Amino acid sequence: MKNNTLFRRLLIGATWAWMALLALVPYLMLVGASFFERGTDTLVRPGLTLSNYLHLLSPTVFTMAADSVALAAVAALLCLLVGYPFAAILAHAPARIQPLLLLLVMIPFWTNSLIRTYALVMLLKADGVVNSLLLHAGLIAEPLRLMYTPVAVFIGLVYTLLPFMILPLYAALKTVDPQLLEAGRDLGAGRVRNFLHITVPLTMPGIIAGTMLVFLPALGMFYIADILGGARTMLVGNYIRDQFLVFRDIPTGSAASVTMTVAMGLLLVLHHLARRRSGKEMLP
Amino acid sequence: MKTILRGFRLALFAVMAAVSSGNAADKVLNLYIWSEYIPEQVLADFTRETGITVNISTYDSNEAMYAKLKLVGKGYDLVVPSSDYVGLMRRQGMLLPLDTKKISNFAKVDPKFVNQSFDPGNAYSVPYMWGSTALAVNTSLLPAETVQKTADLWKPELKGRLLLPNDPREVMGIGLKTLGYSINEKDPEHLRQAYEKLRTLMPLVRVFDSDSPKQALLSGEVAVGLVWNGEAYTANNENRAIRYVYPPEGFSLWVDSFCIPRGAANIESAYRFIDYILQPKVSAAISESMGYSSPIAGVSEFLPEAMRANPIVNPSAQDTARGEFLDSLDESTLKLYEQYWIKLKTK
Repeated sequence: MKNNTLFRRLLIGATWAWMALLALVPYLMLVGASFFERGTDTLVRPGLTLSNYLHLLSPTVFTMAADSVALAAVAALLCLLVGYPFAAILAHAPARIQPLLLLLVMIPFWTNSLIRTYALVMLLKADGVVNSLLLHAGLIAEPLRLMYTPVAVFIGLVYTLLPFMILPLYAALKTVDPQLLEAGRDLGAGRVRNFLHITVPLTMPGIIAGTMLVFLPALGMFYIADILGGARTMLVGNYIRDQFLVFRDIPTGSAASVTMTVAMGLLLVLHHLARRRSGKEMLP
Repeated sequence: MKTILRGFRLALFAVMAAVSSGNAADKVLNLYIWSEYIPEQVLADFTRETGITVNISTYDSNEAMYAKLKLVGKGYDLVVPSSDYVGLMRRQGMLLPLDTKKISNFAKVDPKFVNQSFDPGNAYSVPYMWGSTALAVNTSLLPAETVQKTADLWKPELKGRLLLPNDPREVMGIGLKTLGYSINEKDPEHLRQAYEKLRTLMPLVRVFDSDSPKQALLSGEVAVGLVWNGEAYTANNENRAIRYVYPPEGFSLWVDSFCIPRGAANIESAYRFIDYILQPKVSAAISESMGYSSPIAGVSEFLPEAMRANPIVNPSAQDTARGEFLDSLDESTLKLYEQYWIKLKTK
């Protein structure tokens, strides 16, 4: 018994140490750098300044932020439209095969998303798999323009983020009591009414959780827009990377990164408050 | 992964070498170089000839190498930055002065790569490999005469068929060159003019890519691209219709050079290594194996005919003369580049 607690303590301690050393400390360095000045001979120069944050208050940065939010919002909406029926089919599949189907949803995660994005290039390019198939089938006369279009970017985002939408929706749909739907039918509600008045409200926590889980990472996935979209618009993620890697302005890059984290954190707090108010226990 | 494996093999080799020759323990060279940039055979031959063991570490961007040297500062005896970073690191006192008189083969370096603005008198750097960034044109999609100079990129028939590097220096560079300015321009007014000029080019651009632009060229997604010659060389090998044009307005040249960072411990080994690499035969072997151009004058007799005659790898002297090396920019000029770059990319 004593051994058991020791083991537990070690395990939990190691996890905390890991998180503190590899996540918290670097992040605090970033927060620190965001208040420093830019040095000519050193990367940063100690000093307390808000100028890095004030620097972000420019119309171009706002345009960039608006573009990023719009892209992430559309991706989240598309994921919801595709993910909801998907999750519903999953939740109503025979109980025996549900674990297998869930596993199939997760398997793509085992491959790095950058590699999967390059694989999408192979599918979507002018002489790629999709165009070759359509050409051979005689459905099109010349290759479709898929690569470097918004369509390609959304295909990439939805493909990468869909599991984050499906899993919470699946969990929420599993908790919907079939008897409630039966009661609705008995009271004369059709399928559409039943869905809108019973299923949707009951699965709302799953819808919100899934939307957040897609929206937040989509804000940072600039490499998908770069590789599949041709990098023609600058997103917040590109801006942060360029500050660090191209313009050597680490304080401004840090400030932008911290601002983005705080904004995402606020969204999570709002989400948490809303959940508490509705009094519903929600699955992650 | 390949790099890790190679690193492992080299480490193993190093251990074996240290075991086989007892007195070699103090003869080492810690080389910090771009990944996939030097053949293992060359390193093995160097060790056999000199008894100096080479420990190799690699990077895949100048920025990464720069940040590491800045933050750690020691542990490396030789680094290979690109020209603009040679300029930057030299100005920031991160490099040790090099005495080229101690390098007997330095005289073999082609004069056109010596004494450049990023390092006058080669006081800190010795060229290793070089190349260019110019125009690749797919002549099966466009008549060859459509794109013969940089100004032709603005032709309306290129709409949606143009690729540019995802790099503010290179993109601003074509705006500047078209207006007849230097690619290292610092005059704010000239930079503004270049920006205005480039703004009208943006609607024609289909993709910005500096990682693997050959892909968009080969799949026919774009007909013209501003790419570096290594990419054009590979693309041309796969599709002969893809030609490489050195525009008359001028273009940017890159050269990666050996530098000894401040904090180096094995300076004699570093000199020996530079001298060894500068031999025409060795430089030719590296050029052939890696596909980059050698800056050594007598290299061509050691190159296979196909490579010697290929203008993508070995441009004529008059083409090369129009090239200009990228130099580093001061922080305030860099801020201007940044502003214009963001403006070009946000509507």
